[in-house]
Amino acid sequence: MKRQNVPQLLGALIVAFFVAFPFVYTGGNYDYIMHICIIGFFYAILASSWSMLAGYAGQFSFGHMAFMGLGAYTTALFCHYFFISPEPTGICTEFAIGGQYLIVKNPIGVTSTTLTQDCLAQAMEKWNGTVEVTRMPVWLGIILGTIVGGIFGLLIGLLVLRLRAAYLALFTLGFSEILRATISAEIQITRGQAGLELPSLFENGITIAGHFFSKTDKIPPYFVMFFLLLGCLAVLYWLSQSRFGLFVRALREDQDAAAALGVNTTRYKVLVFVVTSSMAALAGTVYGHYVTIITPNNLMILQMSLVVAMAVIAGVENFIAAAIGAILIEFMLEMLRTSFSIGGVTVDMTLWRLVFFGVLLMLTLRFARNGLLVPVIDFFTRGHVAAETVALRAAQSGRGSDDPAEAASQETRT
Amino acid sequence: MQYSSIFWWTMLWIVFWGVIGGIGTRRVYLRKDRDTSNATLGGSLIGAAFGPFGLAPLWWKSPEIGRVMITLSSLVVIGIIAVAFANADPENNCVSNGSFVASQITNGLIIGIIYGLMAMGLTLIFSILGIVSFAHGAFYMIGGMLVYYIVVVWFPGVHPLIGVLGSCSITFVLGALFERLFLTPMYDGRVERPVEYGILVTFGLSFTMTYLVAALAGFNPVKVKRFFDFPRIRLPDNSDPWLIKTSRGNMELFDTVSISNPRFIAAILSILVLLALLAFLHRTWTGKGLRAVSQDRDAAAITGINPNRMNMLAFALGCMVASLSGAVLVQAFSWLPIVGQIPEMRSFVIVVLGGLGSLPGAFVGGTLVGLVEAAGTGCVPNPQKASSYIPAYGMIILTLMLLLRPMGLFGRKFASGAHGKF
Repeated sequence: MKRQNVPQLLGALIVAFFVAFPFVYTGGNYDYIMHICIIGFFYAILASSWSMLAGYAGQFSFGHMAFMGLGAYTTALFCHYFFISPEPTGICTEFAIGGQYLIVKNPIGVTSTTLTQDCLAQAMEKWNGTVEVTRMPVWLGIILGTIVGGIFGLLIGLLVLRLRAAYLALFTLGFSEILRATISAEIQITRGQAGLELPSLFENGITIAGHFFSKTDKIPPYFVMFFLLLGCLAVLYWLSQSRFGLFVRALREDQDAAAALGVNTTRYKVLVFVVTSSMAALAGTVYGHYVTIITPNNLMILQMSLVVAMAVIAGVENFIAAAIGAILIEFMLEMLRTSFSIGGVTVDMTLWRLVFFGVLLMLTLRFARNGLLVPVIDFFTRGHVAAETVALRAAQSGRGSDDPAEAASQETRT
Repeated sequence: MQYSSIFWWTMLWIVFWGVIGGIGTRRVYLRKDRDTSNATLGGSLIGAAFGPFGLAPLWWKSPEIGRVMITLSSLVVIGIIAVAFANADPENNCVSNGSFVASQITNGLIIGIIYGLMAMGLTLIFSILGIVSFAHGAFYMIGGMLVYYIVVVWFPGVHPLIGVLGSCSITFVLGALFERLFLTPMYDGRVERPVEYGILVTFGLSFTMTYLVAALAGFNPVKVKRFFDFPRIRLPDNSDPWLIKTSRGNMELFDTVSISNPRFIAAILSILVLLALLAFLHRTWTGKGLRAVSQDRDAAAITGINPNRMNMLAFALGCMVASLSGAVLVQAFSWLPIVGQIPEMRSFVIVVLGGLGSLPGAFVGGTLVGLVEAAGTGCVPNPQKASSYIPAYGMIILTLMLLLRPMGLFGRKFASGAHGKF
């Protein structure tokens, strides 16, 4: 077996493992382990798309979690405020579409007196169960959230065209903080820190291959998130192998040189923002429907630092490494949760694990600049090519030619 | 708000013409081959202030946009917003109550000085090393925590100022150590993209330090008693103290403005440190060396200054200044391991507003942000909303400034390193 086939084989094994895992694993903590897997996939999507943005295109954005939150809040608001009813309520804002009515609920914020304020609840009280009001479909919310994420990615991408390095980081951080403050402040609409509830991914359960899964079952969201991750990785792989990936990497190395060589830097800079932010938004919508509640704390800088740290520790310049690293680190962080005590001193691992995590991040940055996983992948994929220059190979083969052209021609022949 | 539509329509008008001015003026100046460095900021300000009546002559004559023009039009913009607000909400506390306004302005200035001090550390680091330290808030938090531990836990009864000194020296050493261990690969090209490396590694440091302190000290808020008591002063005399009246924890000026002791002491200490810092930077050889490195690294190296040692000194000084602003504020606020996040964001806002790398800019930016926050807390009708929106005000300033004039109000283009790129 050739060395460069190992990653493909290993990748296929990992995919097969995760596909088989929910059916073969029978531990007592089944739901917990499945939950960690799902969250791990979620972070893997974020980390790999961030690595496309930061590692490939060199746009160190700190607003990735904001796009995630945008997606999640879009679908949350959509599912929370829009309903379809066959009868007009007479008190809500409503639009007639065909024979149905699109009802927009009024924002009431966090309150216990739902019945006197919520117009839909009042109407349903009046109907007394004769009229069936349906929610908006979840998939529509997911699509909407992704589109909104993409639109904001376009806007931010256009705005940061002139900004580089530190200024870009500050701008995106600012965007993220403005969004978080707005969501926390507009309690009437977003319910602020109380969080917005979302319907579950499959609210009425789902039957797959004759087996019924209730809405709290972990297997359907597990596969949704997993195939989403695979889809995102496939898109990222396709992009990185195409001209897009080449141009975007040229942008990272030297924007002016790339522009001089005919790369439309504006288009590719904006495009990479649109692609990665809609991926983050998509992950956010599915995550929101899985955990069924979203709060402004999901947008906090700590969450962003988790994504950044996952990508950087695994290797920011390879999105597959970032994805694998995110899953591994998520597992590591969860496994290290259990506190223990040595000689009467209780070690609170919920905090110490984050300290170790931070130290690991700093040490990785300092001593392994390509991350911890990328060198391993490189060793298998192109370790035999990249490390050796033409001249080195010529010297090793003993024919010691000083003429690089001749050495190169030998290279092509072998 | 009573007539909120007045306010929002005015805002819409301002924003609309501001955007048109910002985009259009740059185009016009580019076509006429004039200096465009101020065109975006100046154009949008003039557009916002005078609408089409300002933009038409500006685009027709296209004069050089100088500092006077920018200052005047920004004052007009602030005036328009203030008048619109006063008309929209005549019963608001900060329209009808003069003493409240005076009190808010004074407190805004006082807290702004402390903000300015903290931002100065950040700008010092940026002007020499060319990186934005994301660990600034963590050092602020550690400064306050160390004062608490020295004064309350380790050596009870010791004078708070000794605690401040101790925390400063510890953070200075910490900063220097970190710089030696983690930032040195930036200088000799061992890192491909030094600016991003600096951001990420300080980010990691901030993360580590925050949770280390949380793990060691716990998440309970701590507080230090005020450092000094005010002496009892009544002027002009005891029966009629309208000029100045102090109690131990509070000072009242002109019967209207009340300033709390911890903030006042913190501001005084900040000003002292600021003066000392300025004297150090302008009067001593080392300080001059620091400024020389910030202007031109290579030229400074030729004259015999060791830029790498200056890097260490600048980073350590910057961290010390951050911890100092935490150390003087620990008497005013209760302290938690995550307390540094908001001041850190605020320092980013201030340095971007004043210009990354500009020391006076940091100070002016600090007072401006202090005033804006005071206005924001005092004037927004819904207090709950106002407190949630405070971090957003600063960030709006930051994003606007980055779009209109990335080098900030007092910024300059740097000659060397990664500074000039944005």
